[in-house]
Amino acid sequence: MDNILDYSLADFQFNDNPDVLAPPEDFETWINDQRISYCFSFFEQQLLRAPRSSTEILSNLDGQKRKVINLTSYNYLGLSSHPEVIQAAHEALDRYGLGASGAPLLSGTFDVHVAFAKKLAEFKQKEDCLLFSNGLAGNMGAMQGILRKGDVLILDEKCHKSLVDGGTLSGAKMLFFEHNNVDSLVMMLEKSRGKRVLVAVEGVYSMDGDLVKLPEVVAACERYRAAIYIDEAHSTLMFGPNGRGVAEHFGLEDKMGVTFGTFSKSFGGVGGFICSNARLIRYLKCYSSPYHFSCAPSPVLVAGLMKALEVATRDSSLRDKLWENVRYMKRRLLDLKLDLAGTESQVIPIIIGSSGEKLFQMATQLQQRGLFLQPVDFPAVPAHARRFRISVSSQLTKEEMNEACNIIEDVVVAGLKK
Amino acid sequence: MDKEQIYAVIKKHLLENVEDLQEADIDPQKSMKDYGANSLDIIEVVSCAMRELNIKIPRSELAEIKTIDELTNKFVANSSVES
Ligand SMILES: Cc1ncc(COP(=O)(O)O)c(C=O)c1O
Repeated sequence: MDNILDYSLADFQFNDNPDVLAPPEDFETWINDQRISYCFSFFEQQLLRAPRSSTEILSNLDGQKRKVINLTSYNYLGLSSHPEVIQAAHEALDRYGLGASGAPLLSGTFDVHVAFAKKLAEFKQKEDCLLFSNGLAGNMGAMQGILRKGDVLILDEKCHKSLVDGGTLSGAKMLFFEHNNVDSLVMMLEKSRGKRVLVAVEGVYSMDGDLVKLPEVVAACERYRAAIYIDEAHSTLMFGPNGRGVAEHFGLEDKMGVTFGTFSKSFGGVGGFICSNARLIRYLKCYSSPYHFSCAPSPVLVAGLMKALEVATRDSSLRDKLWENVRYMKRRLLDLKLDLAGTESQVIPIIIGSSGEKLFQMATQLQQRGLFLQPVDFPAVPAHARRFRISVSSQLTKEEMNEACNIIEDVVVAGLKK
Repeated sequence: MDKEQIYAVIKKHLLENVEDLQEADIDPQKSMKDYGANSLDIIEVVSCAMRELNIKIPRSELAEIKTIDELTNKFVANSSVES
């Protein structure tokens, strides 16, 4: 391997090492190369405090503790460390102990699980709701539980891995349409005539921060009588007049067959949920493996999450603050003439381009200057559009945003000119 | 290995991975997508063909390739270097 830097995680999925417990040989050559292991040192850096807008990390670059402004954590509404949320979790810990100690059907269902699922279903204006221990399991479990061999799952090509893996597990045929391209979606719908068809889209796409073109998607799906599954991981509690998500933003909630959300982002915890009609949820309780064959989420978490839902929805103050911060950050970054792709949300990419070297040089300098802004490399994003990805939080102060933009100007704007 | 042989290997894996595809229908000037291959199928075809031909090309260099013929040419260019 002479061109080591041209390789990426996309190249080592196949493994024919005769030793089944060993990775592919060339993977080891690659990942142990000094330049590649330097890139990997940005991963799994330890946070030493809550993922607030200012926090502290143990840097893998030099082994030093470093105070940083945090533009990477998904703590969009600051709920992971909200005092009322912490209080609720504390109380639940005293009452219930640490874990649920059982799968939901046998002994893992507590009063808080039932109450929270009911609140979420009401919030999403669906008949019922199913809780999962993590978001990935929710998407996988929904796909695996809903679809069968012979069915067709049509996905936007930018859909999250959890939807793709769930589709694979289900045995359904998977067709991908070009990102947000309704003509391409229609081609796939046309190919799937006569089958049971589910179309999966995301409210906010996680790498570009753009929104699904929901009115067009709904019109196409209605024409072909296909059902819609919307992943609102990055939009629940933030979009729409009442924070119910992008479907509410477009006034199309009743057209969504299933709506998915995660608790790991705006909710500030961990877990996932889907809301749909009561008959489907009843069925999935028996056939969705991550629900049926896995311990229920910790009641401590559920109590904290239920409080997070209450705090985020009792008025609009948190999301108002978030959008104020998003507008401010976007204006500052656009003033710097940065390429923010098509962002329409609190996920703001800064496109660097095809040079991985440049990306990681900048990443190093950003961190040395006290900004926690992680690089996103191929294959997570296209090779010509490597980037940084900002997660704006309602917790960010003007001072933090100004300082962050100053650092971005000194490092990224200057670096792009070189 | 010449282009004909390389094309035959790619075609074989394409036929194995895409439902309802007949050999006679394959036009190398088209994309695998035109035959209903999704992105996962394409990764499978490319990986299997590379393994069989004992060539290794970084995926980042394959992103711009549109047609089966372009893929064949890319393989030809890389196989002559390595063998
Ligand atoms: C769009 C989307 N769906 C699902 C998930 C999975 O959620 P979680 O990280 O909570 O498991 C994520 C995030 O990782 C995501 O971005």
